[in-house]
Amino acid sequence: MRAQASRASGRTQTSWLVAIVLLAAAIALPAFASGYVVDVGLTIITYAILGLGLNIVVGYAGLLDLGYAAFFAIGAYTTALLETLLHFSFWATLPFSIVFAGASGVVIGYPTLRLRSDYLAIVTLGFGEITRIVATNLDITGGPNGIYGIDPPSLFGFEISSPHAVYELGMAFFIVVLLFAVRLGRSRLGRAWTSIREDEAAAEAVGVATLRVKMLAYVMGALIGGLAGSLFAARFGTIDPTAFTYLQSVTILIIVVMGGRGSIPGVILGAVIVAGLPELLRFLNLWRIFGFAVALVALMLLRPQGLWPARIRRAAPRPEEEKRAHEAEAAEAQGKESAAAVAIADSGAIDAAAARETLMQVSNLERRFGGVRAIGGISFEVRSGEILALIGPNGAGKTTVFNCLTGVIRPTGGQIRWRGEPLGAGAPHRNVHRGIARTFQGIRLFNHMSAFENVLIGMDHRLHTPFVAELVGTRAARSEAAEHAALGQRWLDLVGIGARASEYASDLPYGDQRRLEIARALASQPRLLLLDEPAAGMNPTEKHALMAQIRRIRDLGVTVLLIEHDMALVMGVSDRIIVMDHGEIIAEGAPAQIQNDPVVIDAYLGTAEEDDGPDATDGEKSLWS
Amino acid sequence: MNVQNNGTPDAPRLRGTLHATLGAVILALAALAPGLAHSDTIKIGVPVPLSGSSAAAGTDILNGAKLAAAKINAAGGVLGKQIELVPEDDACDAQTAVQAAQKLVDAGVVAVAGGYCSSAALPELSAFHRAGIPYVLDASTNPKLTEMGYNTVFRTIGRDDQQGPFAASFMKNALRARTAAVIDDNTTYSKGLAQNTVDALKKMGVDVVYAESITPGQMDYSPTLTKVASLKPDVIYYTGYFSEAGMLVKEARQLGLKMTIMGGDATNDPTLMKTAGPAADGMIITTSPLAQFLSGAHDYVDQYTKTYGQGPGPYSVYEYDAVGVTAKAIADAKSTKPAAIAAALHKINSYPGLTGTIGFDPKGDRSRAVYITIIVRGDEFEPYQRQDASGKWEMMK
Amino acid sequence: MSTFLQFVVEGLTIGSFYALVALGYTMVYGIIRLINFAHGDLFMVGAFVGWTALGTLAAARLPLALALVVAFAASMLATGALGVAIARVAYQPLLRAPRLSILITALGISLLLENGVLIAYGAGFRTYPHLLTQTGFDVLQVHITFAQVGIVAASFALMLGLYLFVHHTFIGTAMRALAIDQDAARLMGIDVERLIQLTFFIGSALAAVAGVMEGLFYTQINFFMGFVLGLRAFTAAVLGGIGNIPGAMVGGFLIGLLEAFGAGYVSSQWTDVFVFGVLIAVLVVKPTGLFGERVVERM
Repeated sequence: MRAQASRASGRTQTSWLVAIVLLAAAIALPAFASGYVVDVGLTIITYAILGLGLNIVVGYAGLLDLGYAAFFAIGAYTTALLETLLHFSFWATLPFSIVFAGASGVVIGYPTLRLRSDYLAIVTLGFGEITRIVATNLDITGGPNGIYGIDPPSLFGFEISSPHAVYELGMAFFIVVLLFAVRLGRSRLGRAWTSIREDEAAAEAVGVATLRVKMLAYVMGALIGGLAGSLFAARFGTIDPTAFTYLQSVTILIIVVMGGRGSIPGVILGAVIVAGLPELLRFLNLWRIFGFAVALVALMLLRPQGLWPARIRRAAPRPEEEKRAHEAEAAEAQGKESAAAVAIADSGAIDAAAARETLMQVSNLERRFGGVRAIGGISFEVRSGEILALIGPNGAGKTTVFNCLTGVIRPTGGQIRWRGEPLGAGAPHRNVHRGIARTFQGIRLFNHMSAFENVLIGMDHRLHTPFVAELVGTRAARSEAAEHAALGQRWLDLVGIGARASEYASDLPYGDQRRLEIARALASQPRLLLLDEPAAGMNPTEKHALMAQIRRIRDLGVTVLLIEHDMALVMGVSDRIIVMDHGEIIAEGAPAQIQNDPVVIDAYLGTAEEDDGPDATDGEKSLWS
Repeated sequence: MNVQNNGTPDAPRLRGTLHATLGAVILALAALAPGLAHSDTIKIGVPVPLSGSSAAAGTDILNGAKLAAAKINAAGGVLGKQIELVPEDDACDAQTAVQAAQKLVDAGVVAVAGGYCSSAALPELSAFHRAGIPYVLDASTNPKLTEMGYNTVFRTIGRDDQQGPFAASFMKNALRARTAAVIDDNTTYSKGLAQNTVDALKKMGVDVVYAESITPGQMDYSPTLTKVASLKPDVIYYTGYFSEAGMLVKEARQLGLKMTIMGGDATNDPTLMKTAGPAADGMIITTSPLAQFLSGAHDYVDQYTKTYGQGPGPYSVYEYDAVGVTAKAIADAKSTKPAAIAAALHKINSYPGLTGTIGFDPKGDRSRAVYITIIVRGDEFEPYQRQDASGKWEMMK
Repeated sequence: MSTFLQFVVEGLTIGSFYALVALGYTMVYGIIRLINFAHGDLFMVGAFVGWTALGTLAAARLPLALALVVAFAASMLATGALGVAIARVAYQPLLRAPRLSILITALGISLLLENGVLIAYGAGFRTYPHLLTQTGFDVLQVHITFAQVGIVAASFALMLGLYLFVHHTFIGTAMRALAIDQDAARLMGIDVERLIQLTFFIGSALAAVAGVMEGLFYTQINFFMGFVLGLRAFTAAVLGGIGNIPGAMVGGFLIGLLEAFGAGYVSSQWTDVFVFGVLIAVLVVKPTGLFGERVVERM
């Protein structure tokens, strides 16, 4: 793994070098190219900025936006209006155009982000059109004529109006946006977006505030769109609504997808092609756009992932972070305390656990689905420090109970109290922040991220340094990130997959995947961990390891509530068992009690007499002998 | 589980290829800068839409330019050199237009004659002005183009703020309308003409009962027409393009509207009659004179039809004159320096063009722009009425 | 009041076209979850094929009814075949690729169709021969033409036919199964590829009918006519709940009425704002459209 890491960093270094050389060449272009080439270059830059912005929305967060030109328009009109009506200087208009564009991102994002992706497409398209039509119809925006006479920006008395000067201005904007986009992709927000793209429901269930994170994608994209709009206004000195049509939004989308969604070099390449190719094809005249369309379709068929697809994330802990993790582990093994930041055990939780107080109280919980009563008025308690099992035949309502406890579905009756407070009907990620974590019946990992990153996502909501600090890369942010990473490595070590931190989650063997899910859930440092059939698909050796795992988790102060069908495991590890059938609790008590309860045997476990005869299943018999 | 494939991990070899491609593309673009040797022709740029929905109009204009250049060259050219036309596609779009203009500048044109869409002409004009190259517009009627304070812009066509009062005067004095409805299609040209007309109508005391826009690209305008009908105007004036005009007049007659329907100069295309059929009969259009109605342009119409297989569109003859007047200016200036050509253009005040005598006022507008009205009879346009020197309306012969 | 009713008549006429085209969007989406951006352009191609057919038939001096039937049939067959060809060449290979890629391909096909027709027929407008009678009748001070009645009736009939086909024939049931779970359908022995192509054929043929009707009724066609209509028809499909056939019909008529009232009572330039505004409002309250089904996710 070390060798891999250094080879990867070597490759990254070459990439950076090439990028810097190309960037320098691009900056120097006006010195040796004609005015025409510089103009085309400026169009490419504008589209590259727009592409990077849309890439955040479509590429990072996976939201289909067909109305991105709206932000472009808002930035352009803000600069134009403030300059012509209120005589602001160009630089003074910039913060306004960026803020207004961002605000419109909030306005558009708020009603739309709950929608499924295809509905999102038409709604964003609608907003784009509404923006353009409003600009066309209102007098204050100049109507279809648009706004004329926008003064070019000036810097220290030097007027930026020649194509060469505006090109350099555009280059400066582009570099700022590029750095922003790169840093964003590497930040916790970038991880969150990738997790949402992989599996939104799972992301929500491990603590990612999915709605807010999606909104942020919109807003970040909008900010960049607004900046591009201001550049556009400065370049032409006049703007009119025909630059902000649906076709413009589509063009920007083509840039992102053709280049490679989520890939920064891909987007830049896409901009070069979309802006540059029609120019190269000028000789075709009438056939120009036809030729472009043919090329586009061919490209999508031959290379659907785009020209320069993004490399799949494979973040791994750095060597020093691994070292820190191992040091902490060693210290704790010797009974000494490790550094607070890298300590796995939360002493508060351990104390509370020992106290066996009521952690969660469920009263008359009811959930109907139409006419079906999945849960019918059940009440039970979860006490801190215990291992509580929830068993029953399939369809008894066990997973529905989990879903109610984690906020995935809302109960239609009854109440849940968590540590004395009612558990409100908020989004699931809030429950995670309050200390309830879960795993899933069918494994739901973020497949195209490394095991390490999967765990990090579970921990991200605990980061203290503000996001802006992380983007800029302050010392405090970097040191917290390092602690974070070391702690993440420890969680992986705890469940036994520390050596596979940098592998893709989908490449892990089945048993390790289950362990990773547990590590990810534990990483949010919950008080209560809900395990949904953790032993499914495991062989007996793995099940024994799992039982030890569950006990170790409890020793760390985490209460465990598990759904399981393997009776040996349940009886072996649980302190208490609750039995459900047809949405109701039919029995509750210690394992020995439950084993002999006739109601339970009748509903679920099966009796010795019933086993005789042609239906007898040997497996069941062997459980009780 | 919803698994999305983000892409494949790149081998270093593949990435190197992509780096190379990127570099090659940049270099190719740089190489596009045409190397300019000193040439023996006088280059005149012709920026017009050659792709997209306005391609037909652009091609028509270019044809007019070609005929003009051919005639001049056949007579020996200008200052002993041949005229070389350099057409560039502006696609009626601001970004493409500015690049087209820059390309022409780099190609070494000494003057430019052309343009169609005002939204493209304006950015082109800024680019040409920066290089000091004079731009003679043949079809862009937006007044803003000559209000920028540039001394390098000229027009052989009139302006919307001349056409508006002309139309208003016709409605008031020739049609004796007391109420009017003005409809536009919410684009720059159309809205400008509509606003000029409405202002003029109001000044003349005509009650404007309806002044709104329609959305082009729809087919059915019956709801708008139903609303207009309920307001009972004496005349409807539509300032958009012939495509929508055909729909409007057809649907209006279908709904039973009987008042006179008029159109601005963008409606003067025979497609109007094809779309509306007999419904278009009697529709009156304000326009710069079409080549077919210009007494001096019969040979031009014949030559155009023979060379290109169909009759000339409305603007090509203005382009013909634009190229002609530019060549005259070059000859007058005895120089191919753009600044000298611009100065010479300003001095022209009686160039005998096919569209009439051409002179330019200080802003660059045509000092004696003429408008006429034509009327639809069957599937042909016929000259209708015009104003004589005192402003009185008289039938044209 | 009579103005209001006049607007209703006009809205229903306009809405018929949207509904017919919306059906194609909704059927294709139901089957392969693709927003076929090229669908509006198939409507345009249908109109042009009809125009070519009528032009060629003009010399043959057929009786009017027969000429119309031939034109419709030719357009439906040709456009349907084109839809199938596009599906086979451009969409089916990408069904397992990232969703966005197939979307961009659809956009590319749309550009291709528009510019292909532009090159083949020129940028100018073409006009259909004036074959429909302009006569009408008046009811309650509302003027209705026979052509309008014909269009609305024909649209209804086609939609009813489609509905019956989907719900009461074996193939229709297979299509519905396919829309619910493609893999399960395959396991049941359903020829998925063929059915997908059939869906495209039907959707494209319906769009072609709308195109020829548009040409006959409005007379004027050009290469860009599918753009605005396609967008509004797509909005109609989403409004009704994309994937839902009755929803597409209702959505189409609703959008037509909205357009008529918007243009009549306010101004035509704000039509799209109303249409999108209503769509967004509906989706906020009912995120899957008027008749759309909630997709339950099993955790």
